[in-house]
Amino acid sequence: MLCQICGKRKATFHFKEVINAEERELHLCEVCAKEKGLSESFFIPSFSLSNLMAGLTELELPVSEEVTARCPHCGLDYAQIRKKGKIGCSLCYQTFKDYLAVLLEKIQGKVYHSGKVPKKGKLEDKKQRQIYKLRKDLEEAIRKEEYEKAAQLRDEIRALETIRNTHHAIRDTSNDNDSSENG
Amino acid sequence: MTMILQKMANSSSLWLKADGPEAGIVFSCRVRLARNLEDFTFPPWAKDSVMKDASERIIEAVSKSDYLKQARLIDMNELSSTERRFLLERHLVSVEFTEGGNYRFLVVEKGEMMSLMINEEDHLRLQVILSGLQLMETWRLSNRVDDQLEENLNYAFLPQWGYLTACPTNVGTGMRASCMLHLPALTTTRKIGDILKSISKLGLVARGLYGEGTESEGDFFQISNQVTLGLKEEEIVDNVERVTRQVVEQEKKAREVLYKRNKTQLSDEMGRAYGVLINAHLMSSKEAMNLLSKLRFGVYLDLLPGFNMRILNELFFLITPAQLQIKEGKELNPFSRDELRARVIREKLSSLK
Repeated sequence: MLCQICGKRKATFHFKEVINAEERELHLCEVCAKEKGLSESFFIPSFSLSNLMAGLTELELPVSEEVTARCPHCGLDYAQIRKKGKIGCSLCYQTFKDYLAVLLEKIQGKVYHSGKVPKKGKLEDKKQRQIYKLRKDLEEAIRKEEYEKAAQLRDEIRALETIRNTHHAIRDTSNDNDSSENG
Repeated sequence: MTMILQKMANSSSLWLKADGPEAGIVFSCRVRLARNLEDFTFPPWAKDSVMKDASERIIEAVSKSDYLKQARLIDMNELSSTERRFLLERHLVSVEFTEGGNYRFLVVEKGEMMSLMINEEDHLRLQVILSGLQLMETWRLSNRVDDQLEENLNYAFLPQWGYLTACPTNVGTGMRASCMLHLPALTTTRKIGDILKSISKLGLVARGLYGEGTESEGDFFQISNQVTLGLKEEEIVDNVERVTRQVVEQEKKAREVLYKRNKTQLSDEMGRAYGVLINAHLMSSKEAMNLLSKLRFGVYLDLLPGFNMRILNELFFLITPAQLQIKEGKELNPFSRDELRARVIREKLSSLK
């Protein structure tokens, strides 16, 4: 068997990873394994095949107008993010919201965050907190298959989000004041 | 910097002490939290000046944390490739981090149970490792450290998506919770393949590293969560811990079966492994891993009087290539490494007589 990276030398390092019953294997020669930092090593906890292969496969995504947009903070467009497989900054998550929603659904499932929340910062915004709570209710409603309630909650969230976005746009122009308040 | 690393090379990480629950089978458990700063471009895209500012803010927050203010601060750029490799072997940095780069720092507390990579793929990568199977405790500890850091940092966070990370596979909790297991009996009885497969059906990731001709190098396997969004941290930890516990039970049963079936054959295998280890003058990494794995199994079965799990755990880490070179204070070619490795093992085993 030949090395999967160089395709020239004989593969002597074999890695196996099983995710969702899907087995993935990677076979490397000594030289490429060393280059990736994987040879002669005691088991490395942070090592992951999917990370290693992330650069090799491009994300497949639908096309929308977001493709031409640029993130106002880091200046990236979606094509760049897609190519590298890495998101630019926290504002990218809002700029490319629709794209990322599809992507996240693929990777993580159709879910919202239900874990830890930072004590300060964003959630001090009352509206954000409200949205957060509504989303949790929505998740619960879907789990219980109460679709009418879910639809109603979704509308409420949408309404709140529109208000928030206009509010956000105003805040963004007075960015300097914001940071001095936080600092 | 070199002095600090030599000091580290002469002591062992506290999580190798094998004092945690089920330490005979579960080597260690680990929680990693990924966090980013709100107003800074994420490291894969950031300019040097942004990385610099971000690192300064984080280092300041670290200096105010009770858990980390005494910790060592290591600039990855000041290290040679062997020195960076040494930190990788000690499970303190990732493969990506060993490539070096400007404004990349490692913060590591003395016992090496808590550490923080600054400007890896995310601005912060907090890690806590404890001995044995105590993942919930590991999470609680990392949660407290995270709370303290957050008092002085503004994390990138959105209510619907949680903590925002450079890679979408970490979004939400930003948490990877994992257990490292030593499964020689399940490997020998060839049950490990089916078990790994069934684990993956539960939404968890199981991985092993195995070398040519052998099933696994040292019979080590890792179980971790796949999904980071939509579940509470405690739920994720509970899932990983529960499944790990089931594998531990299976391994225990397999060990018992092997022991009952043929104690003499097992004793023979352990004895031979010991014989080679205490007499060899050249020892490759791979051979050492496989033989030490047998000894570790032997210690569990009480077939090797005078040994304990801690010494075995430490030996696995004393013989890695960069560790050998850092301790020796110079670069060594593979032949000299094999020679030194054999000597380190001989000396350690002789001291136990």
